[in-house]
Amino acid sequence: MQRSWCNSKKKKSTIERTMGLIGETTVVDSIKSIQFRQAFSQAVTLGIIVASALIIWKTLTCITGSQSPIVVVLSESMEPAFQRGDILFLHMSKDPIRVGEIVVFDVEGRDIPIVHRVIKVHERQDTGEVDVLTKGDHNRDDDRGLYAPGQLWIQQHHILGRAVGFLPYVGWVTIIMTEKPIIKYILIGALGLFVIISKD
Amino acid sequence: MHSFGYRANALLTFAVTLLALICAMSSLSDNLNSPSPSSHVKVLNINWFQKSTQGNDEVSMTMNISANLQSLFTWNTKQVFVFLAAEYETPKNSLNQVSLWDGIIPSKEHAKFWIHTTNKYRFTDQGSNLQGKEFNLTLHWHVMPKTGKMFADKIVMSGFSLPVEYR
Amino acid sequence: MDWQGQKLSEQLMQILLLAFAVVAFATGYVLGSFQTMLLIYAAGVVITTLITVPNWPFFNRNPLKWLDPSEAEKHPKPQISSNSSSKKKTSKK
Repeated sequence: MQRSWCNSKKKKSTIERTMGLIGETTVVDSIKSIQFRQAFSQAVTLGIIVASALIIWKTLTCITGSQSPIVVVLSESMEPAFQRGDILFLHMSKDPIRVGEIVVFDVEGRDIPIVHRVIKVHERQDTGEVDVLTKGDHNRDDDRGLYAPGQLWIQQHHILGRAVGFLPYVGWVTIIMTEKPIIKYILIGALGLFVIISKD
Repeated sequence: MHSFGYRANALLTFAVTLLALICAMSSLSDNLNSPSPSSHVKVLNINWFQKSTQGNDEVSMTMNISANLQSLFTWNTKQVFVFLAAEYETPKNSLNQVSLWDGIIPSKEHAKFWIHTTNKYRFTDQGSNLQGKEFNLTLHWHVMPKTGKMFADKIVMSGFSLPVEYR
Repeated sequence: MDWQGQKLSEQLMQILLLAFAVVAFATGYVLGSFQTMLLIYAAGVVITTLITVPNWPFFNRNPLKWLDPSEAEKHPKPQISSNSSSKKKTSKK
């Protein structure tokens, strides 16, 4: 073991020696090419990170059949079941919606989808379409006040998925980043700096 | 290369991976639990039964709900959400499910309960089909884990019917 | 931290964390308390951090013996380069 450590040092000193002998120009060239390679490999690494994140997201979308398979709970309306910052895993199966399930749905005129529990279901005899009414566990009244004006029921096409599992607290990262954008920029800057200055 | 930060980073990565693993295992351990809940519901009185101005039948009734859901609780259970729904079929709809009452059970000690209540949510039909209607009362529960997969199940109790006349 | 120390600290870190995870899960399951499990595991992570992250003296029991450069020049060995580079690769892991 110890012998080989000594050898590596020996190699280093011989390299230094040969460089000195060959001359200035080649040394500069070789350093330039090393820098280019390093920058290139860093760019590739960064690309791989971004691409793999995208791949994971798209694969989840395919498996679960939901447009956004993972959502972060932003409101307190489902406490104590879900708290702010919990992460929900959604699934979009062909099974019909049933009462009691926790669904994520879009409402026209709202940017952010809502996560609430189904309290009423009316399924059509002929077409199989469903009319669904939802309510947050923590809210006193049902969600008709949250729906678009005049809308009484949620239909299948409003629904993004139903919650099947959840993970507490992890979503706080997202909440902090959206509410305090400065932290996001600091984090991105620090990561970028780290990628640039790290040698390996 | 093997600096302070490198070691801290490696440790943190490994620790978080293991944490995810033990959370997954505790979620899986819920499958070992085979619950045997029981429940009994009695409709004591139909308080009123009428057709609203929109033409939908609406009922108010008083019920007596008793249930023992203690066997649903495991060490990974945060809460159990329990609710009673009326389920019936009409010519227009193949399935109607209307929640009448719900409750959140925070711990095992509260899982054996007995409650005397009127329906918390409005028992309204889509249309006017409730006269003399036979319906099931179903006690559903959703088990919320501390982490992991959510479970749901139900007990169906049949043989309830509404009066033929409005009152 | 020397090479032996690095290997030791890495192995210690993995073994300790795994042991704490197993103990935490078993205790939590037997006592039926999720909180106990998390507390034990958190304590385990802190202890492991204290043991393996700082550069303790016992990680430096096998210091490298560098050859004097003048000594190295006297014994040039061309076949060494491949040998040492492979060594370097494994040590990095």
